[in-house]
Amino acid sequence: MNGFLAIVRSVVRTSRRERTALFFTLLLPIFFMAIFGFIFSGSAPALKIGVVDQSHSRASARLITLLKAQKGLDVEVGTQAHELDRLKHDNVVLVTVIPTGFATAVRARSVRRPAVVTSYDDRNQPQSAALAQSAVSQIVTAFAQRASGQRPRVVIRAQSVNTNNVTTLDFYLPSMIAYIVLIAGIQTVAIGLVDLRERKVLRRFLATPLSAMQILGGQIVGRAVSVILQVIVLIVVGVVFFRAHVNGNWALAWLAILMGIACFVSIGFLITGFTRTSESARGIASAIGFPMMFLSGVFIPLDQLPSALQTAVHVLPLTYLSDALHHILNDNEGLSAIWTDLVVMLGWALACFTLATRRFRWE
Amino acid sequence: MESHPSADDTRRRPAIRLAPSAAEDTVIEARGLVKRYGSLIAVDDLSFTVSAGEIFGLLGPNGAGKTTTLEMLEGLRTPDAGDAVVLGQSVVRYARRIKERIGVQLQATALPDKTTVAEAIDLFGAFYTHRRPTGELLTQFGLTEKAEAMTESLSGGQMQRLSIALALVNDPDLVFLDEPTTGLDPQARLNLWDVIERIRAQGKTVILTTHYMEEAERLCDRLAVIDQGRIIALDTPPGLITAHAPGVSIEFETTTPDLVVLQAILGVDGAEVNGDRIILHTTAPERVLARLFDPTGPAPSIRDLRVRQGTLEDVFITLTGRRLRP
Repeated sequence: MNGFLAIVRSVVRTSRRERTALFFTLLLPIFFMAIFGFIFSGSAPALKIGVVDQSHSRASARLITLLKAQKGLDVEVGTQAHELDRLKHDNVVLVTVIPTGFATAVRARSVRRPAVVTSYDDRNQPQSAALAQSAVSQIVTAFAQRASGQRPRVVIRAQSVNTNNVTTLDFYLPSMIAYIVLIAGIQTVAIGLVDLRERKVLRRFLATPLSAMQILGGQIVGRAVSVILQVIVLIVVGVVFFRAHVNGNWALAWLAILMGIACFVSIGFLITGFTRTSESARGIASAIGFPMMFLSGVFIPLDQLPSALQTAVHVLPLTYLSDALHHILNDNEGLSAIWTDLVVMLGWALACFTLATRRFRWE
Repeated sequence: MESHPSADDTRRRPAIRLAPSAAEDTVIEARGLVKRYGSLIAVDDLSFTVSAGEIFGLLGPNGAGKTTTLEMLEGLRTPDAGDAVVLGQSVVRYARRIKERIGVQLQATALPDKTTVAEAIDLFGAFYTHRRPTGELLTQFGLTEKAEAMTESLSGGQMQRLSIALALVNDPDLVFLDEPTTGLDPQARLNLWDVIERIRAQGKTVILTTHYMEEAERLCDRLAVIDQGRIIALDTPPGLITAHAPGVSIEFETTTPDLVVLQAILGVDGAEVNGDRIILHTTAPERVLARLFDPTGPAPSIRDLRVRQGTLEDVFITLTGRRLRP
């Protein structure tokens, strides 16, 4: 036990001292949060939104024309019931309602009773909804200013359907946690363990009374602990520095994070059975990590991936970690919402770990 | 994972019974060790004993099977046949118990990155039930000033000293050193020879491999010359030289080199000319030298005379027809 703990301690201390590696692992997610937290504007892909015109006025018609003219927005007009139904079925990401009395309110230029435009967004596609919301807000505000002089007489009330208000930054914090768990989890074991084997450090450990279990177990646990520390740093930066709002239960979030670490550390361990040099381990880790990053909803919203890739999406473990973290941290949901995620990650972890122990070679 | 023998495995293999003649001070008794890698036989039926308190050397060229032999004795590799009793226990059956009591320095060992010298000693110390204090080891190996230095910043000699300090962290009775001075500069090598001799002075037994004959001659009490996985000679260094390279060569310059006359001196086995120098081979150097310095002798004006003893290199050449190091 002493020897095992000594290895864990030594691994954690060593990885803490690898400043350059830590910097580059944490740089990307922090940079990403900075972009989405502060600088973000505009949108890239065409977002489908539904508009409900209850005003049937010249003002509402002009506003709809403006929305339709906006690049990147795909506007359809319909009844409220129809559009909300389409929202539920993920056909649109946002529904904007222009209420009765909109034209009068705009004309009246009353500060006390402004025209109110209500938007409903889709909790399943929060990042797309946030993009659409931001575009609609800008257009409505501009329209109101033009119609009535300087002061906006239109107030946009954003309202999520069955969800909490989630900003883009809030959405990206769980994504970036998933990213760190993936990258640090796979790399630390795959590269670290292969490097120790290559330089015969593992062999030197074997010449002591330690058992194989103590040596490998100490290495893997120590590296998992170092991933946990990196996640903590990221959360602290996101919450304290960038002021991301977290709605959910941290204990539950950590359950998902630990399951994710078990999963990706096992994948890293499995890589060690297929490579001899730490250079090739690095290559394999990247070859596995990067595609997964883009196919699991961490950077690119799942609803914007071509349907041909959807099967891959639903096999990759990162999808489930990302999904679980969003359910907990953005939507404040409980264990019932994430248990399938946990089961899938556990399955991946067990399968990879078992296979890895069979494939592992000491030299 | 299952292929290495780190745990005390219970593979059914008859344990060696110590021969009645084997005294208490036998530290290693290797019996018929065999290790094959595919069709290559790395170690071919090796048997020898090592006694307490001696420095026992395995001398041979690269690839002779020295490291594989050590690794079988250390419990790092399971022999394909044979067994060894190390500190009274079968290494095949009780590898883990033996590892508790031996010290091991592997060839070209590295340590984990970003670890200081003191941390490395503490780390390895934690692996044993009995361990020596870190400060004591730092002092013994002249590493006190480097205690807080990262291991990757050490010089070759310092790294080797640390590596030997790690082998002594559990105060072992038996220490294995695999090519302890390979790659070191001459100064560091001399320094390390002192270190190794001090280990013997503490009453420990040392078994080392080397392909430097000077090292083997200086350090080893007894020496097994290994070639192609077999022991081709085993004795003290002087014993090996007497048995296999008994000749002495006498070299000098003279103004009147007459090979025929020189060759006729009683006791000269052969004579040759190398540039300005004459080389006489003999097994009776006293008689030949007396004749050479006789004023009425065959070579009246001898300059720059050197007498060269046979070396382990000569032993190896005699035994194998090849040089130790190509």
